[in-house]
Amino acid sequence: MTTHAPPETSHAAVAAVDLVKVYGSGDTAVRALDGVSVGFGRAEFTAIMGSSGSGKSTLMHCLAGLDTATSGRVLLGGTQLTGQSDRTLTRVRRERIGFVFQSFNLLPQLTAAQNITLPLDLAGRQPDAELLAHLVRVLGLGDRLNHRPSELSGGQQQRVALARALVARPEVVFADEPTGNLDSRSGAEVLTILRDSVRDLGQTVVMVTHDPIAAAYADRVVLLADGRLAGEIDKPNQVSVTDALRDLAARR
Amino acid sequence: MRATVLRTQTTAAARRPGRLILTGLAILVASFVVFGTVLVQQITERTVRDNLSGTPAVTDLVIGSVDVQPPTVTDVRQVRAVPGVAEAVARVATGVSIGEGYLNLQSDPGTGPLTTVRVIEGSYPDQPGEIAITPRTAERLGLSVGTTTSGTGGELTTPAPLTVTGVVETSADAGYDAYAPDSAVIAWARLTTVERVDVRVAPGASTDAVRQRVTAAVAGQPIRSGAEVREAEAQAAAEQVGRLFILVGMFVSIAVVAAALVVTSTFRIVFAQRMRQLALLRAVGASRATLVGALTAEGALTGLVAGVVGVASALTLGYALPAILRATGHDVSSPGLPLAAAVAVVIGAVVITVLAVLAPALSAARVSPLEALRAASVTAGRRGIGVSRLVFGLLLAGGAVLAAVGTISQLPKPEQSDYDPSMPLLLLVGSGALAFFALVALGPLLVRPVLAVVGWPLRQLGPLGRMSVGGIGGTPRRAAAVSVVVALGVTLISGVVIGGASLQILTDREMALSAPSDFEVTSNGGTLPPAVVSRAEAADGALARVVPYRMVDDARLLRGADKLGDGESGYPTSDLDLAALPSTGDLDVAQGTLTDRGPGRIVLNSWVARDAGLRAGDTVTLAVATGTVDVRVAAVLPGDGPLHAGILADPGDLDRLGVPAAYTGLLADAAGAGEDGRTAGVRALRQAIGGSDGVGLAVLADERDRNDALVRTLVWVAVGLVSLTVLIAVVGVGSTTALSVVERVRESGLLRAIGLSRTGLRIMLTVESGLYGVIGAAIGLVLGIPYAWLAVETLGIEAPMTAPLLPLAGLFVVLVGLTALAGVLPARRASRVSPVVALGADN
Repeated sequence: MTTHAPPETSHAAVAAVDLVKVYGSGDTAVRALDGVSVGFGRAEFTAIMGSSGSGKSTLMHCLAGLDTATSGRVLLGGTQLTGQSDRTLTRVRRERIGFVFQSFNLLPQLTAAQNITLPLDLAGRQPDAELLAHLVRVLGLGDRLNHRPSELSGGQQQRVALARALVARPEVVFADEPTGNLDSRSGAEVLTILRDSVRDLGQTVVMVTHDPIAAAYADRVVLLADGRLAGEIDKPNQVSVTDALRDLAARR
Repeated sequence: MRATVLRTQTTAAARRPGRLILTGLAILVASFVVFGTVLVQQITERTVRDNLSGTPAVTDLVIGSVDVQPPTVTDVRQVRAVPGVAEAVARVATGVSIGEGYLNLQSDPGTGPLTTVRVIEGSYPDQPGEIAITPRTAERLGLSVGTTTSGTGGELTTPAPLTVTGVVETSADAGYDAYAPDSAVIAWARLTTVERVDVRVAPGASTDAVRQRVTAAVAGQPIRSGAEVREAEAQAAAEQVGRLFILVGMFVSIAVVAAALVVTSTFRIVFAQRMRQLALLRAVGASRATLVGALTAEGALTGLVAGVVGVASALTLGYALPAILRATGHDVSSPGLPLAAAVAVVIGAVVITVLAVLAPALSAARVSPLEALRAASVTAGRRGIGVSRLVFGLLLAGGAVLAAVGTISQLPKPEQSDYDPSMPLLLLVGSGALAFFALVALGPLLVRPVLAVVGWPLRQLGPLGRMSVGGIGGTPRRAAAVSVVVALGVTLISGVVIGGASLQILTDREMALSAPSDFEVTSNGGTLPPAVVSRAEAADGALARVVPYRMVDDARLLRGADKLGDGESGYPTSDLDLAALPSTGDLDVAQGTLTDRGPGRIVLNSWVARDAGLRAGDTVTLAVATGTVDVRVAAVLPGDGPLHAGILADPGDLDRLGVPAAYTGLLADAAGAGEDGRTAGVRALRQAIGGSDGVGLAVLADERDRNDALVRTLVWVAVGLVSLTVLIAVVGVGSTTALSVVERVRESGLLRAIGLSRTGLRIMLTVESGLYGVIGAAIGLVLGIPYAWLAVETLGIEAPMTAPLLPLAGLFVVLVGLTALAGVLPARRASRVSPVVALGADN
């Protein structure tokens, strides 16, 4: 069940090659990532799992160009991100990557509609009206567009954040514990929308989570432990993910 | 519990001293300014006292005072005869008219300890009819040692000779000062009384005994000791300083109000950042009162630190500055150590900070314990204002409008002569204060409409501009709190700028009328000998412009056969050629235009126009004893006419009236600049006049210089004082931006994550900071310009309404620049933070 397949770097939407990230120096140095090589396929929904401190968030931050790796490479659709200037990384994030955060991170002073089009505004691009209408319909935000975040429920806020991530048609959507602050029903809605975006729009989604139920929505699960790749599950379900996590815990 | 809560708050404050300084910065600046003002007042008072040149220090007794009958010449003799009196000097001054002009002849012994002059040339006079003059007087009046002239003064009515025997130096040289011993002054001017007698007691004699003997000798004359008189003189000087500082105090208190407003808004932000922590304390059982207490204590601590630092830095500067000035040759005394004032300022800082912190502390303590359990900060600042605040603000605004209407109803009418500006001025100040507090209350409601107007060009500039405008519009309460302080500063400065411009126009006009040129030569009722005019016109090395004119005093205005106006005598009428005078450009008109002048046209001053009931465009008959001529009124001046002429007529019209061709006076400008040019001009004119009888010379330029300097000083002093408020406003913008950057670090992280570049973030935050300035300056100008106009009208000085566009635009740009600059550093810091760190920030 657990295989160590070589990373499909050439065909992957985004991939890490021998990625190392060290925090601090000397005796207090912590190797958050210790030579991770992994690829994430196009139009695929991948979950990154692992216990706290396994390096899953650091991996995501490096893949998304938010953080710089100590060594190794990150490739986004064939473009190398490592060693690029902040200016380039900023443009990459703006034009090729979408984010969904655990704590929604909407701008409180903007309406839902303004929050959704914010990344396009920053890039100076016009939103694709058809896609925007589609997203608003699918996400059920029609009557909430002029509300501000403080007037929305948690689930509604996260759906606005999803729309914001999807409307720019990014190459990869990174979701960091997107259901962590939601009740189970809202969480299920958000996960279904993510899975549908992969199926219907051909979106590539990489999600960090520690919740087996959330991971079961993915096409593939990548397991991380102590900054290293610790296994993979294809077509996961709740049971297989829970078993794998238990194995990991037992091995340590 | 209470102690624990207090500890959590104070430890948090101590852990971030930078934040403590930021919150207290406005109070620090205010304490510095207040205590600095106290010290400057002391420095000024002491400097004035120490450099006072009045009664010589060796004077033991002073006989006579302005309140009673002056001592007589006999009294002086009797005092001199009293045993134990070493020296008794009569002090008296009398005006003397000489051919060259006016002299102020003062008595002074010239030698000995009681003298106030020093001979620098020739010898000090000792006979009646001999005088010593100051250097400037020598230059101005063309006198020198050995010159003999003649004049009248005091009780002397037939001219008697005066010979200059020496030149003396004095502490003040007005340019018309002459000195002679008291006996010479009394004898020459036939005086019977003097102003006072200064007595020096012989060494070894008892002052008290001498005083008793002098009292007996001059019964009924008040006698004071020299020390007493000196103290009174010092008091009088200090009192003037004190009056000036009452005015300064008003501006300083405005600055303190501004500081309190800034501190309120900064604390609001600081507490908002701690909402979750405060909610947590509530959740674990802290009561509201405990929280309020802890937050207020934090405010008191901030006030204490800020007050002490402010006072200490003011003290350092207060001692360093006089020392530096003394080293560069200025006579400046050091201040004392006003300990009570220092303590009072620190206590005041604490009290004001506590008062300022109360409102934000109360509202922060109202936080629901549930806030602690909320996952993330999605609570945007409240956007509107409560009903009670709205009602209160509207009431204040209504009061301001009422008071303004009251002021307008009491404005002086054109004919009104007994106008008292104190009541409308008081109403105006009240209206301004109410308007300002209405602004504080209603500010959050004004931000969005104002932003909609001033933010429009920014929104067109792209997403960054839109986000900056949106960022401010989304937090109107914060924006209002800061902008209101900026608005206060701009209101005051624009008021000063407009007031200064009006005053400048007024004095320019006044000067163009009363001093249209550097010099005036008059014939005092007769006519100028033609040679005087031709000699003056020939002296083109020293005189740039010679404009002779005629003046007739008995002109009347007729309609048909009826005389217009109530005046018994005629109107003074002149044919002065306005075009030949450069200052004509400073003349403004109430009606018509000055370019319509010419044959058959006259210009009236406002009083003649009112008296005769004429307006520009009316036709009327101008009449003198020798003839009449029909003329049209080309223009009416807003006040008096040049040379106090009631009517300005064309020379041709005066000829037709039969006025003799001989000039009655002439105006001239100096060819050279400065004091030298002026002296050369005076010499040339004096030569031109020669010995002509009854022809006098006046140096109008001196008067103009004094006026210009006064106006300029007044405006600069006012601008300097008002700048204090602006300084505090800018400090407020800076600390608000810095704190709001900390508050919004997560938002910055998000924007960076979804693709805002570092530069973009920096620009956005700097623009936001500048927008506080734009909103504040816009509100400030909208309030300041009408209030300044109203204030100028209220003063009843017939000054025109002006809007000095360039200085006002400059003020706007500088303020916006300063506020934007205040945001540069915080914006830089925000853009440096990595998006990962920012997103992980807990708040």
